[in-house]
Amino acid sequence: MPTDNQIKKNAVLEARGITKRFPGCCANEQIDFEIKAGEVHAILGENGAGKTTLMNILFGLYQPDEGELYFDGEKVDFKSPLDAIKKGIGMVHQKRKLVMAHSVIENIMLGHPHAGEILNFKRVKQEVTELCEKYGFKLDLNAKVWQLSEGQRQSVEIIKALYRGAKVLILDEPTSALSPPETRNLLDSIRTMAESDLAVVPFITHKLPVVLDISHRVTVLRNGKVTAQFATEGATEKSLAKSMVGREVIIKLDKVEVERGKPVLEVENLSAYSEKDYLALKGVSFTIHEGEIFGIAGVSGNGQEELAEVLAGLRSATTGTILLDGEDITRNSTLERWRKGVGYVPAERNEVGSIADYSLIDNVAMNYYFEEEYVPRGVINYKGLRELTENLIAEYNVATPGPDVNARALSGGNLQKLILARVLSRKPRLIIASLPTQGLDVGAIEFVQNKLLQAKKDKAAILLISGEIEEALSLSDRVAPIYEGELMDIIPWTDAERDNVGAMMAGIKPKVESL
Amino acid sequence: MWELFVRSLDASIVLAIAALGELIGQRSGVLNVGIEGVMLFGATFGFIVAQTTGDYTTGFIAAIAIGALIGLMHGVFSITLGVDQVVSGMGIWILGFGLTTYIGNPYTGPLGMARIDRIGGMSPFFYLALALIILTWFVLNKTSLGLKIRSVGENPAVAEVSGIGVNRIRYMCVIVSGMLMGLAGGVYGLSYNPVWNYNFLMGWGFIALALVFFSMWNPFIMFGGAVLFGALWQLALSPEFILPGVMSRYLWRMVPFVITVVVLVVMSTRWFRTRWGAAKPEALGMPYRKEG
Repeated sequence: MPTDNQIKKNAVLEARGITKRFPGCCANEQIDFEIKAGEVHAILGENGAGKTTLMNILFGLYQPDEGELYFDGEKVDFKSPLDAIKKGIGMVHQKRKLVMAHSVIENIMLGHPHAGEILNFKRVKQEVTELCEKYGFKLDLNAKVWQLSEGQRQSVEIIKALYRGAKVLILDEPTSALSPPETRNLLDSIRTMAESDLAVVPFITHKLPVVLDISHRVTVLRNGKVTAQFATEGATEKSLAKSMVGREVIIKLDKVEVERGKPVLEVENLSAYSEKDYLALKGVSFTIHEGEIFGIAGVSGNGQEELAEVLAGLRSATTGTILLDGEDITRNSTLERWRKGVGYVPAERNEVGSIADYSLIDNVAMNYYFEEEYVPRGVINYKGLRELTENLIAEYNVATPGPDVNARALSGGNLQKLILARVLSRKPRLIIASLPTQGLDVGAIEFVQNKLLQAKKDKAAILLISGEIEEALSLSDRVAPIYEGELMDIIPWTDAERDNVGAMMAGIKPKVESL
Repeated sequence: MWELFVRSLDASIVLAIAALGELIGQRSGVLNVGIEGVMLFGATFGFIVAQTTGDYTTGFIAAIAIGALIGLMHGVFSITLGVDQVVSGMGIWILGFGLTTYIGNPYTGPLGMARIDRIGGMSPFFYLALALIILTWFVLNKTSLGLKIRSVGENPAVAEVSGIGVNRIRYMCVIVSGMLMGLAGGVYGLSYNPVWNYNFLMGWGFIALALVFFSMWNPFIMFGGAVLFGALWQLALSPEFILPGVMSRYLWRMVPFVITVVVLVVMSTRWFRTRWGAAKPEALGMPYRKEG
């Protein structure tokens, strides 16, 4: 730890020996760091490394059991988020903290002293517009928040925090919901903030290139402790990943060459409405073959969720046909599809993929309840299911005390392993994997990706929906960027360029010569 | 004809004031389905106090005060204790029905006081209701307090992080809401129908409740709805005025309730919600607990 007073004076936020204990998990132990004005200081760690706990302490949601926080060299004791805001800490959560029904300007002025007793829209608008211009945000202040994209909503929260006078801006996974061009804009804005002497603290799980790109310094957490603290200059993705996970991680997957077999899934002119009754999927057509991973790359909310649901039989198709091994399954129920060899790994693993208060056995049973072997004459054979679950737990390294605990008790990575185990163990012909690695840490991502590649070797056809351009490119044999319900192009991986795919994900049509 | 219109407006005023109370509470996220009970309390206490003291003003003060008290009670249940708001509201309705029947029984019969003077041919409460509606609209949409109330009703967690005392705002709204419901009951029992009988409100509270949903939480649409419902009600009492001989008066009397049911059904369809969206306070009916 630097004891030099000169440095301490510069630190705008400093943590000394922060310790927080919970019964069981996610504690913080003796966390020390200092964040200087004008610095982008990334905090890196896997899920369960204690990032969330630390963030909640900095924002006053939790009080540390031991240790002290200093703001501008003065000891502070945040009892609530409001205390933290008043001192000058701005927090942009991953889960949006905005009133969806209100306009942008109403959200920004809520609780702000400049709002006035009778709302002074003119003054606030002027001041907020100046702020937006300074940091390069483009926002329609009169738009309702529910109309905005996820990226724009994040900008609203950042502006709200800055307008509140934040000197330290904490960003939780700031690029996770953004398209590549949006990410570039945000990173530019963050650079401008640092130049204006703000301290920016992004908390990041796995977007290592982002860390390398913008941060000046990195603090790495593992198991609730600080394991490394260094200047970003000279660091590489490999070195970051190693200090995060504690071992070498393979960042680039080697392509698995599998001979492409006959077509398994043929989709023709498929359209569907979304939950909100607009046409979310607009006539997409594609084919996936045996031993092929077909990647759909897109920013959340562009129709890929609907596509997965239509294929799984959870949403009805407005137009189009779905052929599985040449057989029309467009009007088949979900159960019929499972029986014919469709496997579904839903994006919402807590809401759709599992029942939180059911045991792991019951959760596994959800893909097996219709099999005579496990449910003879309608009576559940718990003995058989228990055996099956135990085998899956062992085979997929699911960290759990046993098959009887509730799904709620599993971490995201372990729950995903269980869901994957349940789907893959049925040896499906078609696997629909919707955001299979979202929110997982580096170790679990590696595991899930390897399992998908294994399934590919076993001649399954895999539809991979991903928001991560790297993932889509490194796993898929062909990639289709999706934008507003349409596939922009279908590109073999050998021809796919990162920037080109990124641009198409943001709705920029491919250049004519590439067609 | 004019007389019928004025009389129907009198009914509209009662509905409008009560619905306004409900609307304010709902905008802060607290649903009170016991509005009928609160109005019965207001009507009965206002009636008894006015008859005993011989003074209208004291009667109205009593009606408002008992409304505030019941509102506070609903607040303690649904805000502090986090009870299901529908359960608490139904409790208030049953309590109101039972207790007012018991307390008011000896007072059965007419009020026996001179009618309240009309101003410009209208009930003075007409002007009061208009003023309250405009005031409510202004406060909700143009002031900081209104923004706070709306935010608390939409997303209390966000409001809390923005430095707003969620529970304080909700208590304030639920008490004001009770006061207006009590006042509406008072207007009913002292001006519109000053003859006490058990359950003499006959379900008007529920119509007011439906009106709030009908209005999409906008005070002006709500007033329009109140005028419509008042006219229907009056028509049901004397259908021979407009459509002599068409249908029995008992069928006509059902009309406002049928419309209430239809409105609520239509409003709860997916089609309606996606078409009009975002109008209903997102956190309506949900108790709020601080994080951490």
